[in-house]
Amino acid sequence: MHRIIDLAIPLHRLRLLVVPFIFILTLHGCAGIRSVEVIPPPLPTRPAETIKQNEFFIGKEDDAIGRPAVIRLEKGDTLPDIARHFSLGIHEISLANPGVDIWVPEAGTRIMLPLHFILPDAPRKGIVINLAAMRLFYFKENKKSLTVSTYPVGIGTIERPTPIGQAYVKRKVFRPTWYVPASIAERHRAKGDPLPSKVPPGPLNPLGEYALYLSRSSYLIHGTNKPSSIGLKATNGCIRLYPEDIRELYEKTPVNTPVHIISQPYLIGQINGVVYLEVHAPVEEQRVADLRKLFARLKNIEKKTKRKIDWGQVDKTLAEVRGIPVPILELREKIEKGNENIVEVRHPGKLYGSPEIPQLSVEAWYILAAEHRDATDAARMAAIISHQGPPIPARVLAKRDRYRVIAGPFGDMQTAEDTARRLKIDLEVDGILIEPGNNR
Amino acid sequence: MKKSFLVISSLIVFALALAGCATTADLEKVRAQEREINAKADQALQASQDANANALKAAETAARAESALKAAEERAAAAEERANKAEAAFEKSMRK
Repeated sequence: MHRIIDLAIPLHRLRLLVVPFIFILTLHGCAGIRSVEVIPPPLPTRPAETIKQNEFFIGKEDDAIGRPAVIRLEKGDTLPDIARHFSLGIHEISLANPGVDIWVPEAGTRIMLPLHFILPDAPRKGIVINLAAMRLFYFKENKKSLTVSTYPVGIGTIERPTPIGQAYVKRKVFRPTWYVPASIAERHRAKGDPLPSKVPPGPLNPLGEYALYLSRSSYLIHGTNKPSSIGLKATNGCIRLYPEDIRELYEKTPVNTPVHIISQPYLIGQINGVVYLEVHAPVEEQRVADLRKLFARLKNIEKKTKRKIDWGQVDKTLAEVRGIPVPILELREKIEKGNENIVEVRHPGKLYGSPEIPQLSVEAWYILAAEHRDATDAARMAAIISHQGPPIPARVLAKRDRYRVIAGPFGDMQTAEDTARRLKIDLEVDGILIEPGNNR
Repeated sequence: MKKSFLVISSLIVFALALAGCATTADLEKVRAQEREINAKADQALQASQDANANALKAAETAARAESALKAAEERAAAAEERANKAEAAFEKSMRK
């Protein structure tokens, strides 16, 4: 009894002390979190239904186009599907979202759509392709205004890089025939997949439906039958675009349009008095020269504008290589205003070009492509198979503590066998054929 | 004379008796202190044993946590390696 009476008063006093204490702690916690985050996520707002992604008007003084956006992932999304829907390359979206699983990202994750581009330092005429950014810009003057259309591209491999330099569009071909180059024929022969000397238009033609032949012999700007390769170094030196993007570019581009192929990993642009730096991975041999040029330009900007550049932010941006414009001026207010431009985009539900997985049917042929203990490994494998070109439908079926990757359905044994062979050659997957009626 | 002797003797006996009583009280006090110290020693011993047991338990827990962390790290590294391998195969498959 005494204890209760004795403690009653201190408890009351304690409550008075604890409440403000917790309040102070909370404030301190918020401040701590703010200081750690690299880019503060925008506050939840009403998401926009769409966002401009390809075509922009530009003023003479404009250095950049577009605006960054974020989107909340849904179950089953992959970064290549999100990238294609928003006309981004896989390279761009994965650089902007380090640590996010490309094939099996967590549903609910809010990811960055890097739809804000600094224009390369090149004449604003015709086609300009910046290999470092893996992005094509098509400039067109309409009387007094200038428009730019921009698309992500796939470019040459390290062994067979896309050549830098100037060219022009020599001819345009709808439904081109692919004449297999000797080097590709040899590589395919070596892996037991001999190719014919020419591949007619159709789903097996890697040029896709449209091609712009350049004045530089053997180099084309074309479509693809492997849309998930956009944003990769995967060609023999040609420039690849998504099928929907090459169709647009094909229609817009007249013969004789100049084509300027450059490699600018460090892009600087001034927008509303704020200087931005966009960094892409440089070609190793040119890294030192490119850095020298960058620092000379930045010092020149400091001198001209009499503003102090945040060199710490420059170093950080160079180290992170995220491919997104980052403000580098030491004007805190302006920097915060830059982040306000981020727009949240509503998930469209169905992503453009995402793989179709037909319903299971006991009448069809299937391939048991793999069996995994780990559900994520199985989901990744199924996603990779589904994103082949031409597409191979694949899904995961759980069986006790295992997860089976099943490719199919296929209408007949021949198609199933051909697909199993493709899986072996392209992905080194040893699939097992499942006959109709036996796939339970 | 005899009377004086009697008085003196009585006084001496009385004084001695008083002195004897004081010694017994002191003894009781010492014993009480001993009991109290012993009780405190028991408590300290128990606390020490508890602390040792807790330390042992904490060390075991820490070892278990470290082992679990190591296993988780190994699993994560293996998963990352598998993901990288799958990604490399995918990129290769995207060539013409």
